[in-house]
Order: sequence, then C-alpha cells, then structure tokens
Amino acid sequence: MREELMEILGELRPEVDFASEVRLIDDGILDSFDLVSLIGEINDSFDVEVSFDDIEPENFNSVDAMLKLIQKLQEED
Amino acid sequence: MTVNQIAFFGLFFLSVILYYCVPKKCQWMTLLGISLLFYHLMGVDNFLYILVTTGTLTYGTRKMYQIDRKLEESLKNAPVKPTREEKKEKKAQAKAIKKRWLLGIIVINLGILLVLKYGNFFINNINGVLKLVGMDGMNKLGLIAPLGLSYYTLQAIGYALDVFKGKCEPESNPFKVLLFVTYFPQMTQGPIGRYPELAAQFFRGNQFSYQNLSYGCQRIVWGLFKKAVIADHLRPLVNGIFNNHTSVSGFTLFMGCVYMSLQIYADFSGYSDIVCGVSEIYGIRLMENFRRPFFSKSLGEYWRRWHISLSSWFRDYIFYPASISRTAVKFGKLGQKFFSPRIRKLFPAVFALCLVWFCTGFWHDASWRYIFWGVGNGVVIISAIILEPQFTAAKEKLHINENAKWWQAFSVLRTFIIICLLKVFPAGNSTMHSLSIAKRILLDFRPELTYEAFFRNTQWYNLIYIAIGLVLFLCVSIIQTREPARQWLGSKPVVVRWVVFLALIAMILCFGSFDSTVRGGFEYAQF
Repeated sequence: MREELMEILGELRPEVDFASEVRLIDDGILDSFDLVSLIGEINDSFDVEVSFDDIEPENFNSVDAMLKLIQKLQEED
Repeated sequence: MTVNQIAFFGLFFLSVILYYCVPKKCQWMTLLGISLLFYHLMGVDNFLYILVTTGTLTYGTRKMYQIDRKLEESLKNAPVKPTREEKKEKKAQAKAIKKRWLLGIIVINLGILLVLKYGNFFINNINGVLKLVGMDGMNKLGLIAPLGLSYYTLQAIGYALDVFKGKCEPESNPFKVLLFVTYFPQMTQGPIGRYPELAAQFFRGNQFSYQNLSYGCQRIVWGLFKKAVIADHLRPLVNGIFNNHTSVSGFTLFMGCVYMSLQIYADFSGYSDIVCGVSEIYGIRLMENFRRPFFSKSLGEYWRRWHISLSSWFRDYIFYPASISRTAVKFGKLGQKFFSPRIRKLFPAVFALCLVWFCTGFWHDASWRYIFWGVGNGVVIISAIILEPQFTAAKEKLHINENAKWWQAFSVLRTFIIICLLKVFPAGNSTMHSLSIAKRILLDFRPELTYEAFFRNTQWYNLIYIAIGLVLFLCVSIIQTREPARQWLGSKPVVVRWVVFLALIAMILCFGSFDSTVRGGFEYAQF
C-alpha cells in the first residue's frame, strides 16, 4: 500500500521528498488543488471514499497519516 | 461609532480596565457585554437576527453532538457485538439525521442573509424579466441588513460544519455562543474566526501582559496610519476619477484601478491591524487576514495571501466538499471523451472552483458587477491551471529561468496589473458604470504624461502624504519577508522604538485624513 501511495504522490509532485515531510498541509507543500487530486487518486486506487469529514490537515500531513486514514476507511467499508 | 474614532478608543480603554479587573472566569461575560454595547453604538438596534443565529447554532450543534454520543453508546452497550455491516448502517443513519440538523442551521442562517442582503437583487432581476413579458413587477423589500451580517453568518456556518465533522465539541451555553458570534473586534468586517481557536482563548481567562499591550498598541497605531494616511487620502482621488469616467481617458481610469487596489489594501489591512491589536490587548489573537498579497507571483497565490480568513473559509467549507461531491465526479466524467487524462483529473476541482468564485463575487455584493469580478478572478485562475504545461513549455523554449530575479519581479508586476484590471468591476457604482469604465480602458486608453492624467483633481501635498505612507508600507512589508516587523522593532533600543511609535502617531495627526462618510468607517464594512 505504501509503495502505491508513494507512486501517486511522486506523480503528483515529483520534487517533494514525501518520505521525510511531516507537515505537507500545514507548511503549504501540498495546496488545495493537489489535495483534491490526491483524494481522487486515493479513492480510485484504494477503493475507498474520502469524505468531507476526513479532509483535515492531520490526515494528509505525512505519508503515514494518509496510510492510517486509508486503513481506517478500508476497515469501515 | 467606528473603530477609527476617538470615542471608540475611549470606551475601549475603559473596557480593558474592566476586563482585567473582573475575576478571570467572568472575563468572557465582560467581553460579551462590551461587544453588545459596541454593536449598539455602531448603529445596530435590531438584535433579532443575531439571536436567531445564536439560538439555531446552540440548539442545532448540540443536537448533532447528542446524535454522535448516542451512536457511540448504542455501539458500546449493544448486548451482542454489532457486525461491520450493522455498524456501518447505524453510522449512516446517524449521519443522515445529523445532516438534517446541519441543513436546518444552514438554511435558516443563509436564508436570513439571502433575504436581507440579496432580496432586492433577486426582486430587481425578476422584475426585469416580468417587464420584458409585459407584467407588473414586485415591490421591493424594506429590510436593512445589519452590519457584519455577511461575516458572522459565514462564521456561524463554519462552526456548525466543524461540529458536524467532529472537529470540535459544541458549546451548550447560548451566551458563550453569542460571544463567538458578536465578538466586536471581528464582527463587522472579520477576520472570520474559527470556533476551536477562539473559544480556547475566550474562556481560559487571560492574564494582563505588558507585551500584549505594547504589541497591541503598535499594531493599532500602524493600522490607523494605513487607514488615515494612505487609504483616506486615496479615496477622493479614486472617486474623482471614477465619478467622472466619461471625461477622462482609459489611461486615467486604469490609474484609478491602481489607486483603488492600493486604497482597498490600506483600508482593509488597516482595519484588520486595528482589530487584531485591540483583540491582542484582551489576550485574544485573531486570524491573520493578509500576508503581503501584492508580492504574489500569480493570482492564485494572491488569493492565498489576501483576505485569508475568507479565502480559507471558501476553501475549507465550499471548495473541498464541492470538489469531492458526486456532482463534481459526474462533471469529471463529462470530459472523459474529449480531454486528456490530465485535464480530466482537473475537472472536479475546476467545477468546485467555478462555484467558489461565483460565491466569492456574490458574497461581496448583491450585484452583477461583483459576480463578474468573482467570475473574472476564477477565469484567470482556472486558465492558469489548465494551461500550465503550455506556459512551462513556452518558458523552456524562451530559456527563462524561473528563479531569476527579473522573472520574479516581472511575475509580481504582472499579477499586480491583473489585480488592478479586475478592479474595473467593483470600480463603478452600478454594473453599467463598471462596464462603461472597462470599455473606455479597452477602447480609449490614450496614455498621457500629464499631472492631471495621473492625479486628477489632487493637490500635490496630498500626494506627498500618500507617497510617504506607501514607502513606509513597502519598507515594513519588505522587513516582514524576513521576520515579523514587531520583532524587528523590538530588537532596537527603547529610544528608537518610542521614536518610531511617536513619529507614527505624529504622522497620523499631521498627515491623516479622517473620512467619516463611509458606512461602518471602512470599505469592507459595505459587504
């Protein structure tokens, strides 16, 4: 799952070192447009539905946080 | 009474003494009393709408919270552990009921805003259509929107959405909710605050601090300087140009747009500085509304740095939910046949952006010229996103180094010119007036190098005041790119600090123009 997510993120913003960043939203590294594109990719690739309730910086600030969210959504499904 | 009047500061001084004299647990009540008093003195006698907002917010958010707790308990105390499907079904049911409560809050509060602020706009447009088919029109509504309605309505809806998302617990004391809605520094023109940040500061009990007092006073003086020395001197220059638009060239009208951009920035950021300073003295930090927007290299960046509390509100509560909605996904599928995968992926976000920019324009004023202005901003931003690969290819072909200083300066200037050109729409007093100004800029530009063409009907000494103000404003903005200006000033010897502080006050008194003809004292109070 991590590799697939890293691939999506790499395509979205190749210049960002996603493995080490932990403040992707708080520091404005990913903007609102990136976030919406990312959510679309996550929904399609992991067969989940990220909802309005899930769009919070803490869910997208790092790769680990995103994986945690995806796992939570998969468990709920 | 407005926040740039002496009477306001007299009352504010007394309120600070009272605020720090009462026990800490009563400070919020003092703030509520002061807020209602100020609101009354600002000319508002009708508290009915505010009470409706407070009531619906308190009751509705509480209901949403209770639904969540009830669900949690029922899952926890179920005699037989529910299956995943049962859990999912119960959660979906609870969410559907919560949505109804949320919708109720939004419909009531947005309904008040729509009727009071936009009622006559809708009636005028319906009457226009009825006239075309030879029917009699409807009578206009005699209702007046209370000051700050556009701001506190968004703040209230934002709070309801935060509770719906589970981001914060609702407040059950209606008087505390009333304080959140009516907190006087931000009520009439923002910044549009968020409940979790404000509630934590309102109800914790604040200790008097010399630093808060000193920083707050510095910020108030700086805001007054921008308002009195820059904005209020630019106002007659701007009005003189646009009110005589048929007798001046397109070039002078364009200069009017430049002055208007600077005037609105000095006016609105001046207001924000004053109220942030006032609030800081109470120990309550408000959201920052500006981050040197005229240093932006694109219009998108400008909107992330201008009126931040509004643009972030639209981002969080309209752009995100709209771009992941089923409608946006369906809209995205529309483009599947005709567009490349890159453009197809942008479709949901573009759909949401169209909605956001329409709302941004309409929020500012119930008029077509503001809708055109919002749509104009949207068109530029969406075009820049869609055409990004073409721009990148063109830059590569022309061997343009994006990090070169000349290119960055060019990008800042280009963005500033776009901002000024879009000001054509709010420049007029009516949509026809705005379109007439736009037409003259496009078809009758006639650049002239005369004093009258640049500074119509303005005395040279007023220009000197404006120039001094703008140079100082620019210097402070440049310092802010490296460190907060107050921190920079704080590192100087005490004599320098006091000289700067007193010099600013002297300049306000000597050079300031105190225009009290504007409703609410500031341009953004009109919205």
